[in-house]
Amino acid sequence: MALTIIEGCVNCWACVPVCPSEAIYEAQPHFLINARKCTECEGDHALPQCASICPIEGVILNAVGEAINPPGSLTGIPPERMAEVMAELQSH
Amino acid sequence: MELKVIGQPEDESANKGCSASSCGSSDDQLTHLPEDIQQKVYNHPCYSEEAHHYFARMHVAVAPACNIQCHYCNRKYDCANESRPGVVSEVLTPNQAVKKTMAVAANIPQMSVLGIAGPGDPLANPDRTFATFRMLSEQTPDIKLCVSTNGLALPDAVEELSKHNIDHVTITINCVDPEVGAKIYPWIFWNNKRIKGKKGAKILIEQQQKGLEMLVAKGILVKVNSVMIPGINDEHLQEVSRIVKSKGAFLHNVMPLIAEEEHGTFYGVMGQRGPNAAELQTLQDSCSGDMNMMRHCRQCRADAVGLLGEDRGDEFTMDKIEAMEIDYEAAMEKRAKIHSAIEAELNLKQSKSKDSSVADMVTGEKSRPVLMAVATTGGGIINQHFGHAKEFLVYETSGNGVRFIGHRKADQYCSGNQTCGDGETVLSQTIRSLEGCEAVLCSKIGYEPWQLLEEAGIIPNGEHAMEPIEDAIFAVYMEMRSEGKLKMLDSGFSSQAIA
Repeated sequence: MALTIIEGCVNCWACVPVCPSEAIYEAQPHFLINARKCTECEGDHALPQCASICPIEGVILNAVGEAINPPGSLTGIPPERMAEVMAELQSH
Repeated sequence: MELKVIGQPEDESANKGCSASSCGSSDDQLTHLPEDIQQKVYNHPCYSEEAHHYFARMHVAVAPACNIQCHYCNRKYDCANESRPGVVSEVLTPNQAVKKTMAVAANIPQMSVLGIAGPGDPLANPDRTFATFRMLSEQTPDIKLCVSTNGLALPDAVEELSKHNIDHVTITINCVDPEVGAKIYPWIFWNNKRIKGKKGAKILIEQQQKGLEMLVAKGILVKVNSVMIPGINDEHLQEVSRIVKSKGAFLHNVMPLIAEEEHGTFYGVMGQRGPNAAELQTLQDSCSGDMNMMRHCRQCRADAVGLLGEDRGDEFTMDKIEAMEIDYEAAMEKRAKIHSAIEAELNLKQSKSKDSSVADMVTGEKSRPVLMAVATTGGGIINQHFGHAKEFLVYETSGNGVRFIGHRKADQYCSGNQTCGDGETVLSQTIRSLEGCEAVLCSKIGYEPWQLLEEAGIIPNGEHAMEPIEDAIFAVYMEMRSEGKLKMLDSGFSSQAIA
């Protein structure tokens, strides 16, 4: 039972000090969670702290591999609008 | 603390705008302030318009984490070609930051200020931020320390800030109304939870206001930054200005929103536009009845180095710094000499400007105000070739003196226009950036820009090279008047500025 950080993490450090289990560590290309230490904050907080402060959508997964902060949930940008803009920028 | 209304037309005799030595009314600004505040700001380029021509600053990017999300910020972005808040090339450890600060201060003896401004929120990274301040206050005691914050963690940090002799703090306050705040801040992280919408904005606003009050009570100078977002908080910012002034903020800096699709921010992607120069000026002017306004902000990066308006960060990457051999003792002595020379020059200019005749710049009759752009490398004179100018200073003049309004970027904040632009040339971009100006004064100008400027209705003028800026502007204004160009009242850009 542990969360994972995947590609897309920008190494902003926000999660490190809020983790009650000191499970998050600096690594390249992005920070990682030590699965043996991670408790998903059970017993300490109602919600996992890393996923509650992380500003990047889709980069922290729960134990079954789902994004805790799915696309659009943090920035408020509808995913279809983001896709449209990305396609437009790439066509230039 | 009572703030004086500065550089405003309320008192016509004081409204000569700028002295020959500066790009604004800063001589007047400073002399109206209490002595202790003058002493705190005279060499701070972000607090004194005058100082920004002479003193340099740097930001060290030790604070990557943030505790809120703003709709104008994208935490993913890093572009070396871009200059805007929140953008950095490398995040530093506190030890690296100290090393970098000492290297820069040794190589740029004009350096007077070290700030921590991100790329996240400095107070959301208290260990890294305060470790840096602690080491610097021991190792570079002559460098002023300052910090900027979104304010959420500010009340808890005030005690620690006051211990480190940090006497300048900037708080970004975009609103005092949670309804408005919910359109700017999608969430905050507070008491172990992500809090969205109006509820989050309300907590943030309360913390900002509380932090402001606590800083003022400690005698720490507070500058308030606000991002002007048309249709969201533009009208609201006048109220913000009134409130922060009443609580004792020293200076209000209203900056234009920067939002482009390619930045990947909410506002950029959703098509929220930034204000144009006229809208920004109108808002700054309407706030200025209540508040001392900053107009020389260049919205720099969180790792900017050098004078405002220039960025020498490339010269001081960590690998280059490692290779430098520096005698820190000698550097500090040299810095002290340079600083006192600048101080002497500023004092001399200030006493001269007191003697100079205000009456010379007053025509006695009021006519239409006009905006003019100036190409200068500093020192208060027209001394730059049009084509070399990276930015233009904009002044407004009427029959009653000359005053500094702001700056316009000539090559935009993103210089990579060949790869990401729409094919518009730098020249036509520059001319477009001068919209609203009726003349541009420079030391020299080429044939092509001359022609294009004329076509755009802007008079190019190279006849006042090496002359003091406001003398030249006033002379050009008088010429325009004698040619009958000032008769009709312009309904657009400049008419409201002095009214």
